[in-house]
Amino acid sequence: MRLNSVFSLCVCLFPMFVSAQARHTVSGTIRDKSSGETLIGASIVFLETPNVSAISNSYGFYSISAIPGSYTMVVSFSGYGNDTINVHLQKDTSISITLENAAKQLQEAVVTAGRNNNVTKPLMGVQKLSINEIKDLPVLFGEKDILKTLQLLPGVQSAGDGNSGFFVRGGNTDQNLILLDEATVYNPSHLLGFFSTFNSDAIKDVTLYKGATPAEYGGRLSSVLDVKMNDGNNKEYHASGGIGLISSRLNIEGPLEKDKSSFIVSARRTYADVFLKLSKDSNTNQNSLYFYDINAKANYRLGDKDHIYFSGYFGKDKLGFGNTFGIDYGNATGTLRWNHIFSSRMFSNTSLIYSKYDYDVKINSGNNNIGITSFIKDLHFKEDLQYYANANNKINFGLDVINHTTSPGVISASETSSFNPLTLQSKHALESAAYVSHDLTVSSAISINYGLRAGAFMVMGPGDFYTYDKEGNVLDTATYSSGKVVKSYFNLEPRFSMNYKLTTSSSIKLAYTRTTQNLHLLSNSTSANPTDVWIPSSNNVKPEIADQVSAGYYRNFKDNQYEFSSEVYYRNMQNQIDYKNGAQLIANENVESQIVFGKGRAYGWELFVKKKYGKLNGWISYTLSRTERQFTEINSGRYFPANQDRTHNLSVVGIYKINKKWTLSADFTYYSGNAVTWPSGKYEVNGQIAFLYTERNAYRMPSYNRLDIGATLQGKKTKKFDSNWNFSIYNLYGRENPYSITFEQDPDDPSKTRALQYALFRWVPSITYNFKF
Amino acid sequence: MTRACESHDTIKNNYLIMKRLILPGVLAISLYACQKTVHLHLDNAAPQIVIQGEVTDDTTGPYTVRVNRSVPFYAENSFPAVSGASIKISDNEGHVDSLVETAPGIYTTQGLKGKAGNTYALSVLSQDTLYTAVSTMPQAVKLDSISFNHEKIFGDKSIYAIPNFQDPPGISNYYQFVEYQNDKLLNKDIFVFDDRLSDGKYISRTLRNDSSYLQPYDWLEVRMYCIDKPVFDYFDQLDQSGGRGGNNTASPANPTSNISNGALGYFSAHTVRSIKLQVY
Repeated sequence: MRLNSVFSLCVCLFPMFVSAQARHTVSGTIRDKSSGETLIGASIVFLETPNVSAISNSYGFYSISAIPGSYTMVVSFSGYGNDTINVHLQKDTSISITLENAAKQLQEAVVTAGRNNNVTKPLMGVQKLSINEIKDLPVLFGEKDILKTLQLLPGVQSAGDGNSGFFVRGGNTDQNLILLDEATVYNPSHLLGFFSTFNSDAIKDVTLYKGATPAEYGGRLSSVLDVKMNDGNNKEYHASGGIGLISSRLNIEGPLEKDKSSFIVSARRTYADVFLKLSKDSNTNQNSLYFYDINAKANYRLGDKDHIYFSGYFGKDKLGFGNTFGIDYGNATGTLRWNHIFSSRMFSNTSLIYSKYDYDVKINSGNNNIGITSFIKDLHFKEDLQYYANANNKINFGLDVINHTTSPGVISASETSSFNPLTLQSKHALESAAYVSHDLTVSSAISINYGLRAGAFMVMGPGDFYTYDKEGNVLDTATYSSGKVVKSYFNLEPRFSMNYKLTTSSSIKLAYTRTTQNLHLLSNSTSANPTDVWIPSSNNVKPEIADQVSAGYYRNFKDNQYEFSSEVYYRNMQNQIDYKNGAQLIANENVESQIVFGKGRAYGWELFVKKKYGKLNGWISYTLSRTERQFTEINSGRYFPANQDRTHNLSVVGIYKINKKWTLSADFTYYSGNAVTWPSGKYEVNGQIAFLYTERNAYRMPSYNRLDIGATLQGKKTKKFDSNWNFSIYNLYGRENPYSITFEQDPDDPSKTRALQYALFRWVPSITYNFKF
Repeated sequence: MTRACESHDTIKNNYLIMKRLILPGVLAISLYACQKTVHLHLDNAAPQIVIQGEVTDDTTGPYTVRVNRSVPFYAENSFPAVSGASIKISDNEGHVDSLVETAPGIYTTQGLKGKAGNTYALSVLSQDTLYTAVSTMPQAVKLDSISFNHEKIFGDKSIYAIPNFQDPPGISNYYQFVEYQNDKLLNKDIFVFDDRLSDGKYISRTLRNDSSYLQPYDWLEVRMYCIDKPVFDYFDQLDQSGGRGGNNTASPANPTSNISNGALGYFSAHTVRSIKLQVY
């Protein structure tokens, strides 16, 4: 299998090395004119040879080759004015380009939506969001949130009302790889899921891969959310921020050395707990309920060929009840990157990445002083190389090595407490992968991207490793010392996508992707739970594997003003995880004995139409889907709908710019109810009602719908000061959307039982003041 | 509603605090949260047999086995008795007791005396179906005393009982606590815990009532049962997996019963130690 793949790869790569005619290359970096921020995904095209085009990479670098001659090079980027440069190509040339943000331009007419990359590139199942696009949308609590905006896109579902958790094409929340400047974010939410960890002030670019994931990404089954932070203005100092009802933000950026280096620091804190402090009750006002987070980044250009970036994130949630009970949790990440341009055709990035998620529970009740801590920590080395062979061939290759350490739980207890101190074994694993992918333009109509990711996951000592019988009793214990390999899993992940251009504005695409996952989140709760634990694959837990095929039709209208796409997908999943009845997931050395394994399948149809510019813009997205799972132990081994299975998902988003002062916006969401387990009878245990369950997920929650509206009032804009007011109402018509339904004996009529529905957010107004100077 | 931690032994005891902290937190965030009764279209599962039986080391006996049936969700809370069953309890010393139906669906032993360390087998023959269960009565653990914990949570003043006892080291122990307030059983709360994280410790654990509240000068009787693992699992799952209707789990299910042939309920051989005192 492996030899075969290598062989076929060579055959495919072969043609590019024999292309006869000498070509020269134009390369450089594309930046925002006023801030010096690099622009990701800008298009470069030579008008004379429209098939010769390039797109700037994650660091704004581009490289485009052609035979010697004179060309008109057009550079475009969504929301920016185009730049046209005449190039006399006689030798390899370096050209740095700056584009002007449309908002700063005098004439609005020149704004175009960029090129029709959605039609011309083979990559499918990709959604991009720019902060510009989301800034006018109405949001809960007035807090711009990229994760909540993503939920309005096809194939992406919300985990619940007001929740930042999301499901992609039937995958679970833990099957999304969420990256912030390449560092894995293990818990992407604050305050039980109501806020995401991403402060949009600090974010430059958001890309979600839900179908044909490029070979450079690996580690999760269903999607990759790649979030990139701003670099900071390298021309002048700026401060910006926002003051809202529930949180405030501050952002400071500026050059360290003009045009060469810059920094940015963004911080945010909620103050819901301030209301608790106002309470006269001495117990209540000692309660805490808040989070803060800080994003910081600095970069330094060392000459023309080298650039160094350092970025970091730190966030903390604090929930506390007097001094009786408290839980702190949060992520910390750090990324050190070195860009090196070997030649005009060869770009390299080397990263050293640190990522950690931890929680700390403190309980103080009577004699019982107990602390519980747990963490997952990654040390990650990553090398990515991009080789721009010629106009028709581009090769990405690289490698990844991650050292995972998890501490599932450490319980500390005072001498007088009712508990024994306990340290669960730390778990160690080494995850490595090498990948190569090739972008190949076969003809003016056909382009393909294919690649291979070869991954190895090694479960490492030290530690005791158990085998279990069917009942979950330990059968055997094997002890491994430090550095010894307990178990290795090798997986080859082929990635393939193809684009066939039907006309200049329409195309069809096909893709096949295999993904694997070796870290699994143990969670059996209905809401985001900070104490959910990640476990690595082991001798008992096999890697999850998914195979996805997808096909799509893409069509742009009216000079790319409208984008339309229709995609279908089918995904098959192996080694999916569920739990035994009454599973003890936390502080359990034998947690792996509590798990059962099964299969999953997901399929669906996604429709998306977007108007990209003009006075009115926005999109409509619709998804028809099904997600099912199969476990021998559940529902007599039949396929049953997964918790996140929702048949219909509809979002309509509109933004209308009335004039220079006012912008109105609205979004509407409808989705079918989730699959849920409800009782089909009741009985009595010790004089108390107990409910009788017959089948897993055989019922449906009621459907959900909601309309939000928003308005932005732009203040007077001067060179020195810019401000706006943002008003919004979440759930305008106050529908009581069911958040959960519980069952109980009717307190008013004890001879009956009743179902009780909870709804969370009705008419939540918010107002935010944003400023920049 | 939203509970941040589940199924954690250590946290379980402080679970009510979490609930009381996080629920108002979520409500404070959501501003307009509300609840209402809804009518759902729920299937009517075929009636299933429910067996509940106990043998204790309280030798005054008799011991009771109750047999009845489940009903649909929207039916009245009255559960039809199953009469005419043939029920026997035997022990590993060769005693066999044939129970007598003293009231519809209530069967009592005729002289059997429970003893710690013995294993008891229950057999229930009803309408040609045989249901069996086995339970071993653990050695008793002494209940030393009851103290009280006064807490003020969001303005509510609450008093909780704390049983104090020495957990025997080196063996797995499973405990169940039952409270009687002024001679009335407080049956809404399930208090079971094991010594998985407390082996050999002197244990003082707060019994956090979720539904009934103790008042000063009430008479409170706390009974401590030492139960075996299957019975612990049954009540723990009944409490955790939503058998009681709360949706703290994404996938509620019936607790695993130690009775065969798909019967609901449990058969528990357990010791009893109790203390009765006035709440202070």
